[in-house]
Amino acid sequence: MKEKLVHIFRSKLFIYTVLALPGLYTLYPILSQNPTFLADPAKYLLEYVGKTATLLFIFVLSLSPMRALIPNSQIIASINRHRRVFGVSAFVYVVFHLSFYLIYEGILSQIVENFQKPFILSGAFAFFILFILTSTSTDWAVRKFGYTRWKRIHRMAYLAALLIFYHQAVQEKTGAVQTVYFFAPLAVLEFARVSKYILKKKTLKNVSSKSHAAADRR
Amino acid sequence: MFINSKKNWELPESAVTPESVYQSRRAFFKSLGYGVAGAALSASYLDGATTGFPTERNPKYTLRELDLTPYDLVTSYNNFYEFSTDKGGPKKLANKGWKPEPWTVEVSGLVRNPIKMDVNDLIKKVGGIEQRVYRLRCVEAWSIVVPWDGFPLRKLIELVEPIADAKFVKFTSFNNPEEAPGQRSKNIDWPYVEGLTLSEAANELTFMGTGLYGKPMPNQNGAPIRLVVPWKYGFKSIKSIVHIDFTSKAPINTWQALQPREYGFFANVNPNVSHPRWSQATERIIGGGFFNSRKETLMFNGYEKEVGHLYRGLDLRKFY
Repeated sequence: MKEKLVHIFRSKLFIYTVLALPGLYTLYPILSQNPTFLADPAKYLLEYVGKTATLLFIFVLSLSPMRALIPNSQIIASINRHRRVFGVSAFVYVVFHLSFYLIYEGILSQIVENFQKPFILSGAFAFFILFILTSTSTDWAVRKFGYTRWKRIHRMAYLAALLIFYHQAVQEKTGAVQTVYFFAPLAVLEFARVSKYILKKKTLKNVSSKSHAAADRR
Repeated sequence: MFINSKKNWELPESAVTPESVYQSRRAFFKSLGYGVAGAALSASYLDGATTGFPTERNPKYTLRELDLTPYDLVTSYNNFYEFSTDKGGPKKLANKGWKPEPWTVEVSGLVRNPIKMDVNDLIKKVGGIEQRVYRLRCVEAWSIVVPWDGFPLRKLIELVEPIADAKFVKFTSFNNPEEAPGQRSKNIDWPYVEGLTLSEAANELTFMGTGLYGKPMPNQNGAPIRLVVPWKYGFKSIKSIVHIDFTSKAPINTWQALQPREYGFFANVNPNVSHPRWSQATERIIGGGFFNSRKETLMFNGYEKEVGHLYRGLDLRKFY
């Protein structure tokens, strides 16, 4: 059973299908003539793909802590193989989000005016970061920068996460309930990872100081 | 790509039979002595009224240059947080168990003749209803055009006779968390409250909506009686009112209490004062399709002539 799951998760076809599904779902409100969609299609799509992008981005950020917490899980490892595809597809949804936003606003002067607002600015800055991360996601870029430097650049993803959290939280009118739900799993995972890391360091330190003490006595 | 094409049943306002023609046709039927046909006509006419009272379009408020927002969209794209924060939610959830009938409205406070009566009796008492086409501009930068049925609030004010101390009117909506799932959330201090100055409330435009499109007010649009203040952002037009209170102090409206930086007491439609998160210079027309559906927002939503004098000398940037 587990073998089978690992096999499925390793398949590229499966992962591409899963990642394309939220995009295909946008056809549903068009076909079913959903009134909320008909009322203002651009707004409906803008919000929908924005949320999809956020969830995908949170998912890809959760992979590292999950791997650190359960290093031997084959299932996590099989999904983690595709982390680049996850990240890039999150960015694809972000590009759709931005495109729908530009269509929704429509007027250039208004877009310029809105760029002075923290709500839009945080989104724009997050987009900029994700653009850098996506364009440096190739093997060639890793080699070019060297792994350590490349990794340091890609840590900007955490800054993007904070910006996206803000961007999404402020647009909720009565308390950022949904945003907190979205980000809570990631926060818990990161907290657990950091705790594990600190504990490990402490025990290592204890072990090494004990061995030092033993050496002194000798 | 999504192409928004008008359905054959979506008539432009220009296609509506002018009232004079309509009336003369009735006269024609009568003159011919078509008793049965005449009776059938007036029956459907009565049927169109909110609670059995005839509704007539007030020729002063027709907005003939604008297309009405289709009934379907007006009744399925709603901000009614008592039921859901999702626009499509109220249509489903407000028609599940919530019964806005019978409905008692209380009018009290600094008035000579306080009243408390069934909404249907109240409509009878103010002398029936009329229809007016108004623009409605939401603070979220979208707009609709609606033929509302109801009566001017001024008629009710004349009835209860506020005393000299009365400066404000406070409106309170219902509180029923059992039937209104949104009210189980504690994010908002229920019930919903709104307020107007007495002179705003007595303005000729201020309207008590009891129906739309000649039909009883759908639950999701604020049945059975709601406020319609067309020159202010939509959230001022409180739905499903149970209490109207004349006060000497300005009431704190729900959205002002929640986000004072974003929503004020006046909340007049103003293209020059932007919301902290978006510009208010333009608006999206609901049902306008994917592209090209923004139009410029008008000062006081196009009602400057009627209400501009209320705010002379007031700093509208400060009192948003």
